[in-house]
Amino acid sequence: MTAHGDILCSHCSLPVGLRPMERRLNGEACAFCCYGCCIAFQVKSGRHEEWEAAWLLIQLGVGGFLSMNIMMFSLLLYSDAFTGVDAGVLPWIHLLLWIFATPAVVILGGPYLREMWLNGIQGRVTSSALIVLGVAAAYLYSAFAVFEGSTHVYFDTAVMVLMLFTVGRYLEAVGRARAARDLEPLLAAESESATVIDGAAEICRPVREVSAGMLVRVRPGERIPVDGVVVEGESNTDEAVITGESRQVTKGAGSKVIAGSINIDGPLLIQSSGDGTATRWAQICRSVREALGRRSPTQRLADRVVGVSVPLVLALGGLTIVYWAQSLPFDRALLIGLSVLVVACPCAVGLAAPMATSLGIGRLARHGCLVRDPGVLETLARVRLLAFDKTGTLTAGKARLVGVDCEEVGIDEVLARAAGLERLSEHGLARAIAAAAAQRGITPLVTRDVRTVPGRGIRGSAEGRPVAAGNGRLMNDLGWPLPPSLAERARSLEASGHSVVYVGWGEQVHAVLSLDDSPLPEARAAIAALRERGLDATLLTGDLAQAAERIAALVGIKDVQAGLSPEAKRLALDRLRHDHGSVAMVGDGLNDGPVLAAADVGIAVGSATDLARETAALVLPGDGLWMLPWIVDVACAVRRTILTNLMWAFGYNLVALTFAAFGLLQPILAAAVMAGSSILVVVNSLRLERLPDPVPALIPEQRSGTKAERTHNGAGISAMADPAVERS
Amino acid sequence: MIYYLVIFAAGFAGSFHCIGMCGGFACALGRDQRGGGATVLRHLLYNTGRLTTYCFLGGLAGAIGQVICTTQGLTAAPLLNGSLDTAQRILAIVAGLLMIAMALQFFGLLQVFHRLAIGFGGSTFALSLRGLLTARSSAAPLAFGVFNGFLPCPLVYAFAAQAASTAGALPGFLVMAWFGLGTFPAMLMMGGVGRILGPAWRRHGVRLAGGFILLLGLITLGRGLLPSDAHIGLAWLGGHPA
Repeated sequence: MTAHGDILCSHCSLPVGLRPMERRLNGEACAFCCYGCCIAFQVKSGRHEEWEAAWLLIQLGVGGFLSMNIMMFSLLLYSDAFTGVDAGVLPWIHLLLWIFATPAVVILGGPYLREMWLNGIQGRVTSSALIVLGVAAAYLYSAFAVFEGSTHVYFDTAVMVLMLFTVGRYLEAVGRARAARDLEPLLAAESESATVIDGAAEICRPVREVSAGMLVRVRPGERIPVDGVVVEGESNTDEAVITGESRQVTKGAGSKVIAGSINIDGPLLIQSSGDGTATRWAQICRSVREALGRRSPTQRLADRVVGVSVPLVLALGGLTIVYWAQSLPFDRALLIGLSVLVVACPCAVGLAAPMATSLGIGRLARHGCLVRDPGVLETLARVRLLAFDKTGTLTAGKARLVGVDCEEVGIDEVLARAAGLERLSEHGLARAIAAAAAQRGITPLVTRDVRTVPGRGIRGSAEGRPVAAGNGRLMNDLGWPLPPSLAERARSLEASGHSVVYVGWGEQVHAVLSLDDSPLPEARAAIAALRERGLDATLLTGDLAQAAERIAALVGIKDVQAGLSPEAKRLALDRLRHDHGSVAMVGDGLNDGPVLAAADVGIAVGSATDLARETAALVLPGDGLWMLPWIVDVACAVRRTILTNLMWAFGYNLVALTFAAFGLLQPILAAAVMAGSSILVVVNSLRLERLPDPVPALIPEQRSGTKAERTHNGAGISAMADPAVERS
Repeated sequence: MIYYLVIFAAGFAGSFHCIGMCGGFACALGRDQRGGGATVLRHLLYNTGRLTTYCFLGGLAGAIGQVICTTQGLTAAPLLNGSLDTAQRILAIVAGLLMIAMALQFFGLLQVFHRLAIGFGGSTFALSLRGLLTARSSAAPLAFGVFNGFLPCPLVYAFAAQAASTAGALPGFLVMAWFGLGTFPAMLMMGGVGRILGPAWRRHGVRLAGGFILLLGLITLGRGLLPSDAHIGLAWLGGHPA
């Protein structure tokens, strides 16, 4: 990768390539990937009091004025308006055309000439060379013809080719900027400035200079530049860029705010809690920038094709002229050669992949999904098998009370006693039990002398009697008997991968609480939706086989490989890849790093806090599993668009080239055809904007409360409804 | 000749419509600090740029019309010599319908085109223009006028359609040239004198322009629909020069 590898065009946010156009605009250094973007950027955001910015537009306008005049006179010439009596004025009209054409060629052709020169001194021939050579040939030949007094002048061709290419590039750049619109909020993190309060003064500073403890004022409508805590003010914020959920979150004094979220309706004063460059927003920004700067395999291939084709086309143009010059007058042969040069300009091929990819990346980014490698979308579209990790990916990764089995007592009594003990503990299982009791509206029994027994459980006394909750060893230690029905139940629960907590009081065990990491509510629907799209799912997990199989059955996965170490997961992945071609791995990004990196597409759900150490190519927000089918849709659409673009660009070029070589295509028409081809590629890519958003029916918030996992209503055994402990 | 005078008159009446939009630009172009002569030059350059664009569009439309007619395998017959070929008739019908639609819009009856014009990149254009207005170069007004000519405008579209229906580069060019010249007086006045015309005047002018366009549209439509010996309207107008 070169030094310019990660510089993005100021206008369209695509990589600028090896030779960017660099200019200083509005006091800032800007780099552009092409001349079109340079114009479009200045039209859009240039402050026109500045001479430089306006100058370009004036050039264009004057160039347009001249070329339109030339075109008009030429049209009149072609329609034989000056025959007969007026034939005497013909040489004068030719002279006039020459006078008009000279500044027009200089003004409009200048940028192309510069581009050719800059590439030329580095030993590269680009498509601008084709344009420059063709136009120069037409212009010089015509100038020569004027001297000779010949009637064959082609100033119109020279000027219109330049004009059409310039307009084409401008329109193309406008389209590309539309593609970059989705990415803007993500890329803004590095250029954003913050209003820092320093004593009585408010100073505008770049975000990177903001450090922890500084006070930052955020007006309504602005983006919050740093992570921090609200000191003053009240407002609603939209955190969609970071969390993927587009809804308003109310913030008041003391609330935490996330950098990158939009402050919607009230002024906020925020105390920064860290460096401006350490926020997730800034990390995302760097990551997206890197991704855009990288080239996908398709793009590299297209670039190579473009690089090879230019010299080929030059040779072909030369041959065409030589061939036709044998049977036609030289000027006709020259025009045919010019058509070949102009029509073979491979601009559209170079544009086919990056625009569709950046549109896809932007589309996903708007819902909080980060693409870290542009090629990943194309690969994902080809993938037929998704391997899932279990804990934290398909499940909440957090214990949840799923069942209570009790002997001769009520559930409420069991939970009241258990919660009385467990609410004083920080243990994961304990918290799940306390939360479940709270969910059912049970008041914990007041418990005294509470002591945790490390590795065993917890004990205390309530209503004057000892009470304990913990594992079998704790009950053994206490010498409390376990009723046979409960013992059997506990064994079968443990066999199926549940965690079991015994609750006892009055010298006897009265109940068995079963806890489990249960599947995410959206997992089943997501996997069914993936299957509809022809993707198979498999489960690779390090957990016990029973637990894995139970979860797999619940979410609808048939194929399970359990008890795998990280290394074994990698090997399993290799085997799967051998059978299925490419395989995507979906993990939680925390424990699965190596496996995610080894997969063709690594997808992290609920990712690690440090994006820089993330190994997955695709990072979903914490609650993002439900979006997976939609992401696959986007990936497929991107791939389809790239393929149609390439097919179009190549097919179109070949057909047009054939026509041109046979002398059936006028150079002006050829230029129009070529500019049209690029614009068609842009328009085709922009269709990606119309992709539907992820289906809202699958959003977790809207699916309140899940169904009870199981109910037992046997003799002496009662069950509880699902406590629906909150996730995250 | 009368035909072109009608076009000129339509352009003149239509320029009251221009005052609404382009007039604002002309005002913004304002005066040159270097004195009256420079101001006049500024506005002449601006209007020349605009006229060039119109003429170019006219010539192009005419040429396209010609291409459509000749690629039908039929030679473009002189318009008033009786025999009109099919392609030319279709062209005339399409152009006539377009013009009638534009005219109806001027009467406030059809708003489709207006929305189309707004949607079709009008805002980007307008942005680029705003910047040029303040540039101090003497070439800026010319460039400004050139871009201005491309601004989406129903009046221009209507006459471009008319130009296409003439099926010749030269008559097409002349249609737009006369139309453009017709808009000169009002636009120059706007630039030099400023806003003296009240909104009531402008409304009358727009109605009048609508009337002209409707008339031209009906005649063009008639040229496509009626048998070729029944061209009362065209006989009155004196027809196109061949």
